[in-house]
Amino acid sequence: MVDEFNEAKEIKVDYTRLRIPFGPVHPALKEPISLKVTVRKEEILDVDIRLGHVHRGIEALAENRNLVQTLYLVERICGICSHSHTTCFTQALEEIGGIKPSERALYLRTLIFELERMHSHLFVLGIMAYEIGFDTLFMFTWHVRESVLDLFEEITGNRVHHSMNTIGGVRWDLTPNLVEKVNDSLKKIEKSVNYIQEVFQDKTVEKRLCRVGVLSHNEAQELCVVGPTARGSEVNMDVRRDYPYAAYGELKDSFSVVLRDSADAYARTEVRILELFDSINLIRTILDELPNGPISKEESVLKLMRKIPEGEAISMVEAPRGELLYFVKTNGNEGLWRLKVRTPTIPNVFGLKPMLIGCEIADIPVTVASIDPCMACANRVTVVDQGKGKKKVINWENLRRRGKK
Amino acid sequence: MNTILILLITFPVVFFLSLLFEGVDRKVHARMQKRIGPPIIQPFYDFIKLFNKERIVPVTASSRIFTAVPMIAAAASIVGASIPIASLVLETGIGGDLILILYLLAMSSVMVMIGGSSSGNPYGAVGFSRKMTMLIAYEVPMFISILSVSLNCVSLAYYNIVSAQIGMKSLLAFTRPSMAVAAATFLLCIPAAADAVPFDISEAKTEIIHGSLVEYGGPYLALVKLAKAASNFAMTFLAVSLFFYFPALLEGYASVGLGALCLCLVTALIILLLTITVPRTVFARLKIGQAFKFYWLIPLALSIISVVLSTLGL
Amino acid sequence: MRITTRSRIKSPWLFHLNTGSCAGCDIEIVAALTPRYDVERLGCILVGSPRHADVLLVTGPVTRQMLPRAIRVYEQVPEPKVVVAIGACAISGSPFTGSQMIEGPMDKIVPVDVYVAGCPPRPEAIVRGVVTAVKRKYGEE
Repeated sequence: MVDEFNEAKEIKVDYTRLRIPFGPVHPALKEPISLKVTVRKEEILDVDIRLGHVHRGIEALAENRNLVQTLYLVERICGICSHSHTTCFTQALEEIGGIKPSERALYLRTLIFELERMHSHLFVLGIMAYEIGFDTLFMFTWHVRESVLDLFEEITGNRVHHSMNTIGGVRWDLTPNLVEKVNDSLKKIEKSVNYIQEVFQDKTVEKRLCRVGVLSHNEAQELCVVGPTARGSEVNMDVRRDYPYAAYGELKDSFSVVLRDSADAYARTEVRILELFDSINLIRTILDELPNGPISKEESVLKLMRKIPEGEAISMVEAPRGELLYFVKTNGNEGLWRLKVRTPTIPNVFGLKPMLIGCEIADIPVTVASIDPCMACANRVTVVDQGKGKKKVINWENLRRRGKK
Repeated sequence: MNTILILLITFPVVFFLSLLFEGVDRKVHARMQKRIGPPIIQPFYDFIKLFNKERIVPVTASSRIFTAVPMIAAAASIVGASIPIASLVLETGIGGDLILILYLLAMSSVMVMIGGSSSGNPYGAVGFSRKMTMLIAYEVPMFISILSVSLNCVSLAYYNIVSAQIGMKSLLAFTRPSMAVAAATFLLCIPAAADAVPFDISEAKTEIIHGSLVEYGGPYLALVKLAKAASNFAMTFLAVSLFFYFPALLEGYASVGLGALCLCLVTALIILLLTITVPRTVFARLKIGQAFKFYWLIPLALSIISVVLSTLGL
Repeated sequence: MRITTRSRIKSPWLFHLNTGSCAGCDIEIVAALTPRYDVERLGCILVGSPRHADVLLVTGPVTRQMLPRAIRVYEQVPEPKVVVAIGACAISGSPFTGSQMIEGPMDKIVPVDVYVAGCPPRPEAIVRGVVTAVKRKYGEE
């Protein structure tokens, strides 16, 4: 441990190269990630990425709890995309147990999903503005985001960690009064997002974002990046269109997959802004076409939980950052044999290395914010060898090879 | 006797005014962002609080330089800011004190830069290299514009330039084209000298954790912040009294002395809001290469044009 | 009130330390800076370096990798300092109790002055927690 302390103070004897530790505690990073950057003057020569600071052993904890407790545990993997995690988990359980939620429940799940996408994109747009020193835009974007959080509070009761999902449906319903309120809020939000789009085309912002953090199309496909990071490099993938889930099958015509080919930080920002407009359209369509019916099953959640037999399922959703995948193996006795979570930030983070080499120090926070990292999601893959007490971090290559067997 | 008294009072007055200017800057910045913002006397609370904290000197720092730098920087800034004020009130000056003022202000920036690199932190080293590049970028156009002013008024004494404006009964920036260009150059160099966005590259919080200030805490940080505030105040006051000396438009008695000083302070506040607060609110931060290119393109060209026009007598 | 005490209460500078949380509490801390809650009117600034800070806002159950770093950051904050534990994870480690990777909630490692409960607590609760901590710690000296 003493070596770790002194490592950060060590300056290499080659006086033209300087090793700067970026993180895990840094004002640009809201979550811990360790990047050791080797620079010469301002140009970056090499990057060493290390994750694992947020590893809390969630998958091990899930094996000792029953399914409903795991639902609330899984929600707290990440605070920004918590609804995506619960949706994925309940979908897997409903597939194993053969439970079909009602139409209205599926539409309500999609509504909260799209609202979460909006709040997450506004969040990352504000953080990008903060990293380039543009405080005013950061304040404005987060002020708009507060309207979305108000909607969450009206519908589900909490701003973050909504707990909307339950096995077999959702927990809160929309009254006609609330539908009107949501529509009114959406009008104001749309005007503000138009203004944000204009401001992001300002000269000083473009100078900081264009041609920064370039990830070519081939590299993006090799590293298997997902989400807006991939769509900014013209990789055509979106789980909502390719493997529809919840109510997306019926809403196919209300959204489009946004692609950009300049592959830099500006392209990813544009993709997110245009996805905001798409989300607003989707929410309006959902509110117009909301079917009637019950929102959850009549039996209580505990009875449903006991009915779930032994089995396994894989479920995928399109979280705001990309494709989120769950593998759930139940043991027929209200518990789990295995829970495996593959979050979108894991492949995206390893895209940082080709993006950063050749850039300047000033580009590091901008690039890290443009892939929209959610470190709390990404710290899943540390293997502890109990016998030797050593820790090994598995990288993406090994994961893919193991998955193919 | 009177002279010595005024000189002694000037130092606390400069201390008070520079922190007040910083408070107004923060308040207006917050209001422009639709927030309420801190009270105007907030920098005083910050200063007193910082002065009463624990003194920590990191193990990797060269402690003598590290602890001496904030004191030299603060002293240089405060003296550099008091010279114009004392000159205006006492109505005298010595030859060449314009160069002295600019030297003192530059020295406080250089001292903070050296302090950053003496701390032993790699972020301090990055801040040091960035600040050095910025110094080369903005000091050159600024000096050349002051050179053009002194060529025009055939004097390097600060008070002579002010009294030339009183004699001509007009603001220096509006007398000749060369002076207008020199005024524009000087105003363009103020954001970089004040470390305000878009040119706060050497003290970027989100990139290099405050650059040179990363290891300073407690009383040292208080003195460094005081040095910066005094330097901002001095730059805006200099810009106002050299180029936009409004009391010159008033008759006789009111054009010098305490009344003129107050009018100058109000104008200096307005210049502060225009050149430091507004760019801080509406622009993003530039990269070091882009800022250097900007300063060696536009302000340098303008300042050289100003010198050429001055020698031609325009 | 003495001028020193009044200045300390009127100008608490915050440093945010994430010891492995899910980012729910962190986004509520950053949301406290935005125009709706505006914590700067109380004199608070979110500073970048622990050496500039007075108040240490801690979120997250302390994971094994963040333990040495959390201790190091705590030692870098100059006296007199205040530690505020924000969120259920920093108070008791739940919902992750029983995990091998958690070194215990924050008060097993450093002395904590104020606990702000919630998962995550609202920005108004965080602001109230900071103000209470500062008044209690500096007011009694």
